[in-house]
Amino acid sequence: MSGYRHSATGRRVLESLVTVVCPPEAHGLASAIVDHMELTLAASPPMLGRAFATGLVAYDLGALPLHGRRAHKLSAERRERYFASWEHGPTPLHTQFSHAINQLMSLSCYEMPAMTERLGYHPAPWIDEVTRRRLTVYRDDVRRQEAQILAPDPLRPGVYVGKRRREVG
Amino acid sequence: MAVARPALLEGTRPPGVFTRHDHHGDTVVDADVVVIGSGAGGSTVAAELAEAGFDVIVVEEGSYYQTRDFTADTSAMVRQLYRDGGATMAIGNPPVMYQEGRAVGGSTVINGGMSWRTPDKILARWEREAGLAGIAKDLEPHFARVEKRIHVAGMDAEAIGKDNHLLKRGADAKGWQIIGNLRNQAHCAGSNRCAFGCPTGAKQSSLVSYVPRALHYGARIYADVRVDKITRHGKRATGVIGTVRGTPHRLAVRAKLVVSACGAIHTPALLHRSGFRTPSGQLGHNLSMHPNVKVVAIFDEQVTGWRGAHQAFQVREFQDQGLVFAAVNLPPSVLAMSFPHRGAALGQLMDQYDRMVVAGMLCEDTATGRVRTIDGKPQAFYQLAEADAANLQRGVGLLSDLLFAAGAKRILLPFQGAPDLLSADDARRLMDRKIPAKGWEVVTVHMMGTARMGTDRARHVTDAFGAVHDTDRLMVADASLFPTPIGVNPMETIMALATRAAGHVIDNARRYLS
Repeated sequence: MSGYRHSATGRRVLESLVTVVCPPEAHGLASAIVDHMELTLAASPPMLGRAFATGLVAYDLGALPLHGRRAHKLSAERRERYFASWEHGPTPLHTQFSHAINQLMSLSCYEMPAMTERLGYHPAPWIDEVTRRRLTVYRDDVRRQEAQILAPDPLRPGVYVGKRRREVG
Repeated sequence: MAVARPALLEGTRPPGVFTRHDHHGDTVVDADVVVIGSGAGGSTVAAELAEAGFDVIVVEEGSYYQTRDFTADTSAMVRQLYRDGGATMAIGNPPVMYQEGRAVGGSTVINGGMSWRTPDKILARWEREAGLAGIAKDLEPHFARVEKRIHVAGMDAEAIGKDNHLLKRGADAKGWQIIGNLRNQAHCAGSNRCAFGCPTGAKQSSLVSYVPRALHYGARIYADVRVDKITRHGKRATGVIGTVRGTPHRLAVRAKLVVSACGAIHTPALLHRSGFRTPSGQLGHNLSMHPNVKVVAIFDEQVTGWRGAHQAFQVREFQDQGLVFAAVNLPPSVLAMSFPHRGAALGQLMDQYDRMVVAGMLCEDTATGRVRTIDGKPQAFYQLAEADAANLQRGVGLLSDLLFAAGAKRILLPFQGAPDLLSADDARRLMDRKIPAKGWEVVTVHMMGTARMGTDRARHVTDAFGAVHDTDRLMVADASLFPTPIGVNPMETIMALATRAAGHVIDNARRYLS
C-alpha cells in the first residue's frame, strides 16, 4: 500500500478529465470516480503513486504555455484537445501518462454501480443464486469433499516424525 | 462499497491462524519447518509435513480471508487479494503486466483453477536437460494425490456459460480439438469470479483445501507478515525474520528447515537479500512467463459471459506449437480498462458488453527474462522474443478465425492502433503482416524458472527435490523450480513437486531434524 492521496490540484485535474475519458452517462459521477481512482492508486506500488501525482502536476501546468490556463480550468473543447495532444504526445512519457489516466479512470468509471447497472451486470444476485443451487443440488458431494480435506491420509503411511523427533532427542 | 473484511473481525478465525492484530510486540517462535508463502507450493508442503508430525509454521505476507469475504466488488477484491493491487510489471518492450496473489492461499485464490499435469513432452525435456531421471514416473502418484485433495474434475454441464459454448461452436466449426477443462472445483457453480476469490467455495484453492488441512494437523499460519530475510549461520538456513504489515513489530521464526515458496518473482529476491549465493549464478535467471494476449469478439446474440464457469474449455489444436486458447470473461471495469477508447466511443463499445466474448491464449515462451533484486525488492525484466511474438500473432489470427466461425461480427485486437477485424478474411490477412511486438498488450499470471532445479550445480539452482545447491536446510517449493516453461497452467505441477519434496523431507527426517 502506498498511502496515496490525491492532492487538491490532482483531484481538480482528474475531475475535469472525467468528461474527456468517461462516457457522457458517467459525467455526473466525477467525484465518485476520482475517489475510486484514489483507492486503486493507494493499493499500487508507492513509486507508481508518486509518478502519477507528479504527472498530474505536469499535466496541469503543461497547459499554461499552450492555452494560457491550467488544464483543470480549460473549456470542454480545449480540455479535449489538450488531452489528445498528450495521447499523441511529443515524448513517450506524455503518451504513457495519458494512457495511464485512461486506464485508471475507465476502470473506476465501470466500477460505479450506475454504470454496471446500465450494462445489465449485476453479479451479486447471480452469486447468491448459484451458491444456493450448489449447496442444494450437490450438498452430499460438497460435504464429502469437505470431509476429505481433513481426513487422515499420510504421505508416508506408518511414518510419524513427531515420535521420531523425540527419539532423536 | 463492499470491502472484504479479514475473518478475524468476524470472529470466525480458525485456531492456528495469527494476523496482525495478534502482535503486540516483537515475537520469537520455534518450529521444525518454516514455510514462506501459503500458495500452491507452500500450503502443500505445510499440510504434508504437518500430517507427518513436523511442527510447521507458515509465514504469509497477505491477509487471511474466507469465502464469505469474497464479494462482487471487483476492484476491492483486486486491492486486497493482488500484490500491489495488480499493478506489477516486468520491464521490457512491450512491458508485461503480471499478477500475483497476496493472501493466505496465494495465487490459488485468484487463479482460474485450471488443473493439468505437466505434459509428458515437458517432463521428457526435464529428464534430458536437467538430469531429472525418472521424474515422470516419480511424479505420477503425487499428481494423483494432489488431484484427489483439490478435487480435480470436469465441469458440470449446467455451469458452462454461453461464452464457452461459443468458443466450442467455433472450434467445432473449424474441426479443431477442444477439450473440457479440468479444474480444481467441487461442482463449480459458474459465478465466473475465480480471479477475485471464489465466492461460492466451489474452487478448491489452497485456502479451502491444503491450508485447512495444514491447520487441522497442527500447522500455524502467521498472516500479514512480510519476510525480510532468511536467517543463516554460514550456509545453513536457520529461520526467518519478518515485519508484521501495518505495525512496527517483527516476527522471528527459528527453524531447522526453511522452505521458500513465495513464487518465481519473490523467491530469488528473498534468497538474494538473505545473502545466499549459488554456484551456478543462475538464481533469478531463466524467468519464463507464458505471455498471454486476448481478443474481444462482439456477437449479435446475447452472451452474458459473466454467467457461467471460467474457462470451461481449452482449444488444444495448437498445443504442440505452444498455443492454448480459452474464453475468459472479464468484469466491465477490467475490460474497459483494457480498451484504448474513451469518452462516448468507450460508452458505445461498453454498451455491447453483454454481447462480448473475451478469449485469450497462453503461449509457451522461448525467451527468458530475469529477476533482479534492487534495494532488496524484486524487479522482473522480460523481453518478448521475436519468435514468441510471431507465435502470439499467429495465435491471434487463429483465435479470431475461430470466433468468426462461431458467429462473431467484430473483433478487437490486443495491438495498439490496430484496426478491428470484421471478417475471417481480415483475420487471415492479419497473419500475413508483421506487427511490431512493442505495441502489444501482454499480460501473464504464470511466472516460472528463476531457481531451476537440476542435478548440475553449475547450471541449476536447486537439486531435484528443491534443496538449494551449496546451502544447508534451505528448500524452494514453487514455480521457480521449473527448468523450462510447461505450456499449461502450472498450479498442479507446483503442488505435485511440493508433495514430492515433502516426501523427501519425511524420508530424510533425521537429517532435517537433527
